[in-house]
Amino acid sequence: MRKKLESLGLNLPLLPTTTVGSFPKPKEVMEARKKLLAGKLTKKDLRPLEEQATRFWIKTQEEIGIDVLVDGEMYRGDMATYFAENLNGFKISGLVRSYGNRYYRKPIITGKIKWRGPITVDMWKFSQSLTKKPVKGMLTGPYTMMDWSFNEHYPNRREACLDMARALHEEVKALADAGAKIIQVDEPALSARPEELNDFIIEAMEIVTKGVNAYFITHSCYGAFEFIYPDMLKLSVDNFDLEMSNSELDLVEIFKRHPFTKDISFGVVDVHSHVIEDIATVKKRIKRALEVLKPEQLWIDPDCGLKTRTTEETIAKLNVLVKATKEMRASLK
Amino acid sequence: MITASAGSYPRIGTAPEKQRLRSEYARLERGEISKEDFARVQDEVTKEVIEEQRRAGIELATDGQVRWYDQISHFARKLSGCEIKGLLRLFDANFYFRQPVINGKVQWAAPMVVDEFTFAKKVSPIPIKPVVTGPYTLAKHSIDKHYHNFSSLVADFAVAIGKEVNALARAGAEVIQLDEPSILKNPQDFEIFESAVGEVSKNKGEARLALYTYFGDAAKLYDKLQSLPIDILGLDFSYSQKLLDVISSSGSEKELGLGLVDGRNTRIEDVKETAKIATEILKKIDIDRVYLTPSCGLDEYLPREVAFEKLKNLVAIAKQVRVEMR
Repeated sequence: MRKKLESLGLNLPLLPTTTVGSFPKPKEVMEARKKLLAGKLTKKDLRPLEEQATRFWIKTQEEIGIDVLVDGEMYRGDMATYFAENLNGFKISGLVRSYGNRYYRKPIITGKIKWRGPITVDMWKFSQSLTKKPVKGMLTGPYTMMDWSFNEHYPNRREACLDMARALHEEVKALADAGAKIIQVDEPALSARPEELNDFIIEAMEIVTKGVNAYFITHSCYGAFEFIYPDMLKLSVDNFDLEMSNSELDLVEIFKRHPFTKDISFGVVDVHSHVIEDIATVKKRIKRALEVLKPEQLWIDPDCGLKTRTTEETIAKLNVLVKATKEMRASLK
Repeated sequence: MITASAGSYPRIGTAPEKQRLRSEYARLERGEISKEDFARVQDEVTKEVIEEQRRAGIELATDGQVRWYDQISHFARKLSGCEIKGLLRLFDANFYFRQPVINGKVQWAAPMVVDEFTFAKKVSPIPIKPVVTGPYTLAKHSIDKHYHNFSSLVADFAVAIGKEVNALARAGAEVIQLDEPSILKNPQDFEIFESAVGEVSKNKGEARLALYTYFGDAAKLYDKLQSLPIDILGLDFSYSQKLLDVISSSGSEKELGLGLVDGRNTRIEDVKETAKIATEILKKIDIDRVYLTPSCGLDEYLPREVAFEKLKNLVAIAKQVRVEMR
């Protein structure tokens, strides 16, 4: 897919480095979000704080030497609820438990899902204005939005998912029109019901991406890929961003049996652990990936979003990731 | 026909006075209250959720499982041989459980849910059904670093769960629910599963054993499930239309738990439509041999207020069925 990147005017180094999406929010943003929930602040009040935090993360990514940046999602709470709040056809439920003492508000589909205007475009434009490096457009995919919502409107999961895809297609077009060249459509729920991949997930992704000139990435984690590989390669994206370090890299074995035909963003640091990997460990993981993938196919990133780590841990993990990648690049020349 | 819960009930609600369990849990984690203080809050919330089930019109309740972290680790953490590790997604739900790692022989060490059952029974005005997660499902959700042989692991879990079922029966449980959702997606393991259920069943004493399957289509396994040494078979109808056809042609040797109310969606079922499906099934099985239930437990999948509406609606459906069957 190097050709597609070049045709979009993107000259990325070999083994481009990127991140999955979220970064830790600074204390000011966390406190302001609590006040927002309590009705003591409005979304407008939060905006300057979110912009300030976004500036910090764009600058930090540049300093570390990441090649493809993200805005860090300072404005998002839950990845499904955020989009549901900004689309027609949704309302938000009462509290539902996700594990232990953690609860969240889950979207409910109560009517026809429709795009009512740009959701992420403003923040993308703001972030891109701060840097010459490409910033990814970031969306939660149609299947995950459907799977993580209650459905009171559509007769089945397929129809809910396909209408969701039509709405997200509008957002993708708006991002591309604004100038986004790399767009990531997150699908952490991808392997929830393997039989649905061929039933309608592939179709939904086609609806999202059709006719839009951009390099598409899809991110998935917590998955059981043995159930949907190699069929998932039929998804109309250029790059799969997969959790690797947390799954003891067993996917590499699977790729030996069925070659991976797209680009891959290979997760080499564990986002669920406080431990900072050393350079040798990360290099070993990259080398293992290169046993089954061509260097031209490979991007390097963390396993998942980093929002649950501290700022210091995040920066330390990314520094190791970039250093290890640079050493690998040098050895490939 | 008896209206019954099928497992958990949401432990917190939206109203501030319904959020005590959450805020006290946070205080416990910060070390501001003792374990005993927190246990008292759990007792009170248990009473509350039993009362809520009764108020909805449920005739056979559960204690709501308000003390459980999740349905896997709640048992595994009390068994020897198991260590509790990281979070993993539970089936296709957006809910995470703590995964057990097996690093020794799995053995029953002390009662796991007997105290919970005894407490609920004491405070409840209506009958209480204890729930235990089955040996196959426990084994399927564990990482085995000891046995290196799946059927031996299941067999030892079965002995341990059998002991628990026996203790529950001796504590006065009349119906004991054994949850085995995992078998639906793994029909190839049926022989292993069958001997595990046999081991548990041997220990049920005077109690009646209710095997509950959910989160999948039971149609393909229906005949085999009917041959197990159980008294009641609980079924989730939200995954498949075929299940209705299978029951219509095969009938049922066992009493049935009809999970006709979707425990994972906020949409409230149409009373007449759902009653019609139930009366179809009742052509094949006597009305005195069925339980009307949600398709699964309700905590983790529904907000508290919706769970209550769902149970009230379930009771309305039962009423409609009774009218139509008269």
